[in-house]
Amino acid sequence: MAVSGQAFLALLPELVTTGFLILVLMVGVFGERNVGLTAGLAAFGSLAVFGSAAGLLLAGFEGSYFGGGYAVDGFALYFKLIVAGSAFFAVLAAARWSGNTGDAPEYLTLILSVVLGSTLLVSMRDLFGIFLALELATIPSYAMVAFDRSRRESAEGGMKYLITGVIASSVLLYGIVLIYGVSGSAELSEVANAFSGGLTPVALIGLALLISGFAFKLSAAPFHFWTPDAYQGAPTSAAAFLSVAPKAAFFAVLLRILLEGMPEAAPTWTAVMAFLAIVTMFVGNLFALRQRNVRRLLAYSSVAHTGYLLAAFAALQGGGAAFAVQAVLVYTAAYAVMNLGAFLVIDLVGEDAKSYNGLIRTNPGVAASMAIFMAALVGIPPLSGFFGKLWVILAGVQSGSVLVYIVVGAVVVNTVLSVPYYFGMIRNMLLEEPTTETGRSKGAGAVRFAVYTLAIVTTLFGLLIIPLSTLTRASGLL
Amino acid sequence: MPQIPPQARAFLDALVAAPPLEWYLVVGALLFAIGAWGALVRRNAVVIFMCVELMINGVNLTLVAFADHLPNAGGLGVSYAVLVIAIAAAEIAVGLAIVLAVFRSRRTVNVDEVTSMRG
Repeated sequence: MAVSGQAFLALLPELVTTGFLILVLMVGVFGERNVGLTAGLAAFGSLAVFGSAAGLLLAGFEGSYFGGGYAVDGFALYFKLIVAGSAFFAVLAAARWSGNTGDAPEYLTLILSVVLGSTLLVSMRDLFGIFLALELATIPSYAMVAFDRSRRESAEGGMKYLITGVIASSVLLYGIVLIYGVSGSAELSEVANAFSGGLTPVALIGLALLISGFAFKLSAAPFHFWTPDAYQGAPTSAAAFLSVAPKAAFFAVLLRILLEGMPEAAPTWTAVMAFLAIVTMFVGNLFALRQRNVRRLLAYSSVAHTGYLLAAFAALQGGGAAFAVQAVLVYTAAYAVMNLGAFLVIDLVGEDAKSYNGLIRTNPGVAASMAIFMAALVGIPPLSGFFGKLWVILAGVQSGSVLVYIVVGAVVVNTVLSVPYYFGMIRNMLLEEPTTETGRSKGAGAVRFAVYTLAIVTTLFGLLIIPLSTLTRASGLL
Repeated sequence: MPQIPPQARAFLDALVAAPPLEWYLVVGALLFAIGAWGALVRRNAVVIFMCVELMINGVNLTLVAFADHLPNAGGLGVSYAVLVIAIAAAEIAVGLAIVLAVFRSRRTVNVDEVTSMRG
């Protein structure tokens, strides 16, 4: 079978990523170690990926390529936009810092390879292709976490992330192989045939291992323990990027596997998702309550948000299924802007909670942005997090299952539980007296630009919601 | 030519015949379980990597056995196995680099001694 020109067009975002990846690395090898040039190339590259995915989306480009193993649809392109957009802000945040380490091209190459893996991942329709793309996204992320040689925590966080990550990968792979063995093919359409009717024990074990592997990667409790250490050790830009882009892609591909590969086993996996969602929400919020380090606080908060997203997965049944897919799409976009912003503020202020005391006096712009991100993470109405939670709750209410009602109740309870630590940050910034530890402005114009832009998008997310929901309604899945 | 007793012939035939699929799966599951056990109880990061390799090889054995027994899988399953081997090598390459970085700053690679972050 010849590869047509159409297939190249379908792969356009990935080809652009690959091109810029090689370019950035080669500039580092042969050119001068000019940070402005490499960072500019990487930022332009992520914008080009964003543009090509947006172009394909606007042109209504859809199709299935490479023997059905690679799909381009609205759903995949939507997540490519999220990945490329967050990569742009991560590159902005990484430019100055990676320049100071002297290894800017290598670091930016790692970011672009995570982008390549994530953009491939959301289009994959073949279980082994999914595994390959997933590893392409995670292996560079281990190196990103361990990249900061000036802090001992970085290598330690990298090692913990790596060990749990490779164990999770082999568990996931075992699940994939068992499902392949049961269904005789790794393609999701043929997996769906094997997962219709009653499940054999081997298929059940395969499904359990697959979901456990993904729970590790998504940092869902009880598989979340690597998250705080990895995010505390990682360079800020890496923590910000890894908590958003690959995670969005993992959620997308899990949704694709479950909906395309095993729709008839939905009663089984929605029950598992409901259990995971409840445990993850409570663990994330309860552990976040006692953190004094802002990185760890945000790490546990990202665990809690994984729980809210899994609640949408639990609602993928009955009348709420189509709406639950929308909820996942809206929530990932909302989560991406607010979480990226909150992490990037650490770059400007510091990771100790004390350095935020009285920030409104010394640094009003950054303090206001941080307050916006914190309020958005709680889910205060006009901000982005509110729409994510609203969609999840509406999907849960429409599902008509008692278990999902319990999950929705847990979402509401956890929103209240999360108020003390998010609003504690706002309170410290507004009411405490500035101390000597209060963060001073550290220059870094690019990071400042990224934080302000993200704060504006978080605030005005409500204006995006109508185009977003029409986009998600036409997303292809369901 | 001496007469071979039928019991002995049956035994020899069973030895020569290809074992059924289940045997491969059991060996693969055992390898995976031994690797997982080792990865959980051992403290040295390098030994943990060796255990993870054992897990991946157990999975790979399962994969190749399935690929050989499935009617319409063709050569695809075996080519997947080659890709899995390549991925395992990439994981370990990054892993050893990170372990080396940890060793440089702390002079130990025991995972229970590398604990500066808590909570």
